[in-house]
Amino acid sequence: MHISEGILSGEVMAAGAVFTIIGVTLGLRKIDYNRIVHVAIIASAFFVASLIHVNIGPSSVHLICNGIIGLLLGWAAFPAIFAALLLQAFFFQYGGITGLGVNTVIMAVPALLCYYIFSPFIKKDSKLSFFASFIGGAFATFCSAVLFASSLWFTEKKFFGIAITIIAAHIPVMIIEGFVTGFCILFLLKVYPEIFYQKNDSLQKN
Amino acid sequence: MFDEILAHKNSIIHELDPRTRIISSLILSFAAALSDKFLILGIYFLISLALIYMASIDFFYIIKRLKPVFLFLLMIWIILPLTFQDKMFLKIPFFSFSKFLTLSIPGLELCAKITLKSITIVLIFVSLVATMTFASIGNGLHKLFVSDKMVFLILMTYRYISVIEHEYKKLLRAAKFRGFKPRTNLHSYRTYAYIAGMLFVRASNRAKRVYQAMVCRGFNGKFYTLDTFDSSKLSLIFIFIIFAITFFLVLIEAWI
Amino acid sequence: MNKPIIELENISFSYPDSNIKILDKLNFKVFKNDKIGIIAPNGSGKTTLFYTIMGLCKPFSGNIKILGKLVKTEKDFSFVRSKIGLMFQDADDQLFSPTVLDDVAFGPLNLGYSNIDACDIAKKILYDLGLEEFENSITHRLSGGQKRLVAFASVLAMKPSILLLDEPTAGLDTNAKEKIEKILMNLDISYIVISHEFNFINKITNKTVSMENGKIFKDDEVHIHQHEHIHKLGKLPHKHV
Repeated sequence: MHISEGILSGEVMAAGAVFTIIGVTLGLRKIDYNRIVHVAIIASAFFVASLIHVNIGPSSVHLICNGIIGLLLGWAAFPAIFAALLLQAFFFQYGGITGLGVNTVIMAVPALLCYYIFSPFIKKDSKLSFFASFIGGAFATFCSAVLFASSLWFTEKKFFGIAITIIAAHIPVMIIEGFVTGFCILFLLKVYPEIFYQKNDSLQKN
Repeated sequence: MFDEILAHKNSIIHELDPRTRIISSLILSFAAALSDKFLILGIYFLISLALIYMASIDFFYIIKRLKPVFLFLLMIWIILPLTFQDKMFLKIPFFSFSKFLTLSIPGLELCAKITLKSITIVLIFVSLVATMTFASIGNGLHKLFVSDKMVFLILMTYRYISVIEHEYKKLLRAAKFRGFKPRTNLHSYRTYAYIAGMLFVRASNRAKRVYQAMVCRGFNGKFYTLDTFDSSKLSLIFIFIIFAITFFLVLIEAWI
Repeated sequence: MNKPIIELENISFSYPDSNIKILDKLNFKVFKNDKIGIIAPNGSGKTTLFYTIMGLCKPFSGNIKILGKLVKTEKDFSFVRSKIGLMFQDADDQLFSPTVLDDVAFGPLNLGYSNIDACDIAKKILYDLGLEEFENSITHRLSGGQKRLVAFASVLAMKPSILLLDEPTAGLDTNAKEKIEKILMNLDISYIVISHEFNFINKITNKTVSMENGKIFKDDEVHIHQHEHIHKLGKLPHKHV
């Protein structure tokens, strides 16, 4: 989900930039020095995971994974997503500089919401885990689509049609994201539960 | 994919220091994004073309790289004129009765403006920013008072993308060798979810080792950067010209 | 009397949630001019031994003395880390900076050298190892062998008094291996090398040990032995390295 350059109004761009600066600053403050490497390399994995294309009928969509990032990183998702988007702009020319703020908000705010709403339900040996992360993944995608659509709508009320089209087009993506997030979180709980709560153990294990 | 070919050229743009290039592209991009007159937008577009030329980037190469932008614009061109309920431009009979497909003039105008702007902004980004190695971007950001932590995070993310991507390819290859064929079904989604999960596991394990290696070399929570460049005269002149042009164009836009 | 540089006494260690003792009352001494090779099967605790010396794994019993000083706390170990250089198995773990020069200068900067001095140290090390042409290369674009050599340079830039090398030649071709051998043979500091390659260990060490059940076994004697082997083109006269 990328808003292209040149569409948004000055107000929306400014709002995006301000929210991104706040989010990134708060996020960075929550990262201890021994965790920053972890956040950075998870961000690399997020970047790579969003290159994964899954089939949907005759077409394909790429994974978004912002729900997963939210559940794994909490507040640190903000700077991590910002870094990944900056790198995407750099490598793929998806965009320039003016959309970076809004695009970060579109991806990172749902990640954060997903963390606050759904992570309490995600535990090892809990039957709810799959369900919670399924909803979490679908919800994150839905929120992103809504933020995307509303930033268009705030720019120009007459973009309403296109905004609705965008949300509608993301319904199948939500379902796929839901399944992928559900399975992925279940997998992580089984094989590597430490990934969810790495606070002070970075020196303990090999 | 992660080749940074644009960075390894010689041109006047490549001589500029990273800080100058980041600031110039910020100024030009936002000025173009906020402009609303065709004449002025046209001038920004010409400036972006000039920058591409100055950076000695091949035009065909750039057109290939702009594919995602074009796809998005195509969508805009299809949807916007149809959904923009305003002055009718054309009525096209649709479904033989009751409904008409309408194209609106403001809708078309807006499409044209968006097209100009988005291509201009991306060209500015490519010519000024994507022509650096990512290491110099980090350097430039650091000189522009972006916090040590953020710069370190960005550079680290950049560094391990290719490592993780390599691991992704290995995992996908292994799955394919065992007969995995991606389809539209739950099994495929689960497989991709496990692959993504494995990437996160490996990323986390990798992070642990990288951190340990840093600790072994005396890392104690402080980041040092070797800022190696100095501002040249050329950079100063360049940034002055960019400032002047933008200022002038903003004035003109306010005037007309 | 010659004092040991590294002295481990009765070190025991096991990972959390595990009953297996990776290190079990292990005793180990390393003296000046020791060049020790460790040959032991996978999972026998070699890497853990290195991590324990560096303070990355905290043993639940035993004493570690480095240069005659007892080390326990994180602060003690930061002194250890400025004296002992550990080279990791995977060079990608070690080279995290965007460019080679940045990476090699990282250690000296942490030790408190100024930017200019750190740069000079890094450049000198790269020159000594014949890597000066890679100074401004992007680290992740180097080949496996080049990465290993740069990782080596980044450890040597800390001017350690002893080196711990974890499988420095694994996965390298003969050419890169020879380079590493050559560098090691010209070093005048002590080192401990983990490797699975007998020939390599024989060439560059003056002591070999093995590990089993969390303990270290000395095996300094050279045993002449023969074994038959088969491979294609075996009839032709050939050499094994």
